[in-house]
Amino acid sequence: MRTLTLVALTLTAAFLFRAALDFPAWGDPASPAGLHVSRFFIERSYDDARTPNLVTATLADYRSYDTMFETVVVFCAALACFFIIRAAREACVANVFHYRHAPTGLVLTLRRGCPLPRLRGRFEQIDSEWTPRSVILETVSRGMIPFLQLFAIYVLAHGHYSPGGGFQAGVIFGASYILLAVSHDLRTLTDHVAERTMHLLAAAGVSLYVGIGALALWAGMQFMDYGWMTLAFGMDGPGAHSLGILLVELGVALTVCASLTTIFKLVSSEGTIMEGL
Amino acid sequence: MIETAALALLCLGWFLFFAGTVGILRMPDVYTRLHTAGKLDTLGSFALLLGLAVLQSRSLTLPDILVSLKIMLVLVFVSVANPTATHALVDAGLRSGLEPWMRSPAAPGPAPREELP
Repeated sequence: MRTLTLVALTLTAAFLFRAALDFPAWGDPASPAGLHVSRFFIERSYDDARTPNLVTATLADYRSYDTMFETVVVFCAALACFFIIRAAREACVANVFHYRHAPTGLVLTLRRGCPLPRLRGRFEQIDSEWTPRSVILETVSRGMIPFLQLFAIYVLAHGHYSPGGGFQAGVIFGASYILLAVSHDLRTLTDHVAERTMHLLAAAGVSLYVGIGALALWAGMQFMDYGWMTLAFGMDGPGAHSLGILLVELGVALTVCASLTTIFKLVSSEGTIMEGL
Repeated sequence: MIETAALALLCLGWFLFFAGTVGILRMPDVYTRLHTAGKLDTLGSFALLLGLAVLQSRSLTLPDILVSLKIMLVLVFVSVANPTATHALVDAGLRSGLEPWMRSPAAPGPAPREELP
């Protein structure tokens, strides 16, 4: 199996290097991109999509097919991570659970029992490598997380005018969840957003992106032509493209945020999502 | 006048960052390095960002002042997050049993240097 993987990797690398030879030289003014494509984008993008940020217009409108599969790649990364290291819930890998009695500091250790007992009273479930909760860290992160998430939404919504967009917004939003898990513990994160919800959000992002593109087919246009919104919502062409860019970026942000958080949860807890870091 | 003040703040920020970098390179162990990094980098970015905000708002028009306000938001964020991160690092170091560097009275001279993790 390893030999097969090695052969496949070497072949792919060889093909990639061979293909890279056919690229135009670095900064070649006579390359196709430099001759007419860039000029077309620069001259037309504002009239076509009413988006002052040229990068956003190119990424999410002219080259939205490319960006769609970039989103799928992120989704597949999370999916692969899930299939490789997520342990079956029935297996109950950690198998040792610690409960700490808050007033006395006494720690109960349970060595079996997959349906975790809900201990009443002032017991809290703790990690096996327990560190006392740091008040400073918890307070500061609880104050910072809402602003991080607000900033992520700002980056998403302001992508038409300034650097930003779906990928960046998704990363910032995912980082806020990771900050929650690092400053409290992993269970706090899974209590707030269930694992299942995260997976559904990741899939919903890709579906939103593909759905926006596929609805154009239903309106008799080409795939990923946001012009169908002129028919559906009664807006002008550039406005429809602008709205299409925003919706598509929303899909990207959902997928990136959920995939990033899922990968973090799986890797930090060795696939059990019980405790970690 | 405003430009002179901004320039002074920028120079102050540059000096603080420089001193922080020298401290990171010269100090003997993790805790003392974090001491210089945590304090001087926070104050340095504080001075740099304040200088940029002052420089940006010198025209006193609304868009420029709004950009200044955004820079001030970054400033608040950095001055909260940076000390907290330093605290978390020192806390983790102490909990994992990393001894602080000390010049022992019996054998004068620097103790063996500990590498940064």
